Amino acid sequence: MRTATFVLVAYLMCVVVASVWRFMPDAARDAVPDLGALTAAYLGLTARRALAPAVAGSIVLGYLIDLISGAPPGLIALVLGLTGVVARAVQQRIYVRGWAMTAVFSGFVALIAAALQLIVRAAYGVPRGSWSVELHGLAVVAIATAIVGPAVWRIFRRIDAGFARTHRERDAALEGIAP
Amino acid sequence: MITLRRRLVDWSLTGLLILLPALVLRASLDRGTPSGLDKALLRITAPLEAGVSWLVEGVGGMWERYVALVDVESENRELRADNDKLRKQLAAMTRRAFDAAALEDLATVKRQTPADTVGARVIGAPLSPQFRVLRLRIDRGEHEVAPGMPVVVGDGPIGRIDKVYGDYADVTLISDPASAIEVVIPKTGGRGMLRGLGRPDSYACTIEWLERESRPEAKVEVGMEVVTSGLGASFPPGLVVGKISKVSRDDGMFQRAEVEPAVDVSRVRAVEVLLAPPPPPDPDAKQKRKSEPAFGTRPL
Repeated sequence: MRTATFVLVAYLMCVVVASVWRFMPDAARDAVPDLGALTAAYLGLTARRALAPAVAGSIVLGYLIDLISGAPPGLIALVLGLTGVVARAVQQRIYVRGWAMTAVFSGFVALIAAALQLIVRAAYGVPRGSWSVELHGLAVVAIATAIVGPAVWRIFRRIDAGFARTHRERDAALEGIAP
Repeated sequence: MITLRRRLVDWSLTGLLILLPALVLRASLDRGTPSGLDKALLRITAPLEAGVSWLVEGVGGMWERYVALVDVESENRELRADNDKLRKQLAAMTRRAFDAAALEDLATVKRQTPADTVGARVIGAPLSPQFRVLRLRIDRGEHEVAPGMPVVVGDGPIGRIDKVYGDYADVTLISDPASAIEVVIPKTGGRGMLRGLGRPDSYACTIEWLERESRPEAKVEVGMEVVTSGLGASFPPGLVVGKISKVSRDDGMFQRAEVEPAVDVSRVRAVEVLLAPPPPPDPDAKQKRKSEPAFGTRPL
């Protein structure tokens, strides 16, 4: 239920961002925050006992993003699934708390997701742009994700707090302390 | 032991889950078109996306149309300035195109006229109270033209040089009562003298001394073309003067007809002045002559 809620909220945010970004100035139009990667990272980082539900949620969200973005179905799903696994792997090593740390981690997650996407596209022979275009896109997406990351994580923590069974869990979720 | 087994199951399940989109991606790349599941999901999610887009675009459109109008005034000023500049350029280009067309007409007249001519620009045109051109002033003076010289344009005759002073000359139009040109109606063969009526509100002329209408073949009708006859050694023959606009049959001896000139004098920007009458036709032009032997021998 928790994972489904995250997927639904993240999907709604993706739809809103896709509609709003049309009104951005030309310079910022390519800098679309990677909300899918943020969600997958959050799910991976806050996975409680089992990783599979978090990865499943990431894959479903990725599949929905594939459909609305026009990417080959399965591409973003695979990337977000792998991003969730990476986030789980760093769960015990990184403590994401505070505005600055959340922003840096969000940028890092966007870079990881973009790098994974490049690898998957290369592995499957999906056409890509020149290296300069790809690197430019990767950098602006990472910056945009870092900027919106803290706000998105704040929303996710609020949702997590809603699913808490005890006061301690609720406080821990709002503080951003991993379970 | 239980924890290890649970971990193994979890990681295996995760691996299988990761494998799923990998297979879906391979299949979608091979297929190239959306699958049935893709289409069904798109059909379900499309209304939500359309609703959000409608809402966002409505808010964004309101912002763009009513709130974010900061640069509109300066942009409007710049566009007005550009518009003025372009209008001036367009007017200058139109004038040039008109001049070029007039010069092209003159070149045609010059080619068709077997006489010495000189081109001239119209530099003035006094108007009647009803805005009709009374005469033309051209930029050719004493050293180039002389009174009495015929003036033509591509469409037909305009009039004659009246006065010459300094670098300018005045042209009396064919619609002036002082003007007289020998004309012929090609359809009937009738000849007459074209004189201007001097009306302030039209360029109408009249043909006097046309043969009487009792002869059926000499009967003049409205719409018939009138051309110069070439008599009087002034205008070359065949220049279209205009068309019959009205016929008066009340004269006992001769017909009288009104002519609407072919040339719109108000639009004339350049004219051709005939400096000398065309040379007389060669009387031997149609006669066949045998070639004479050169030095008493004929070529093989």
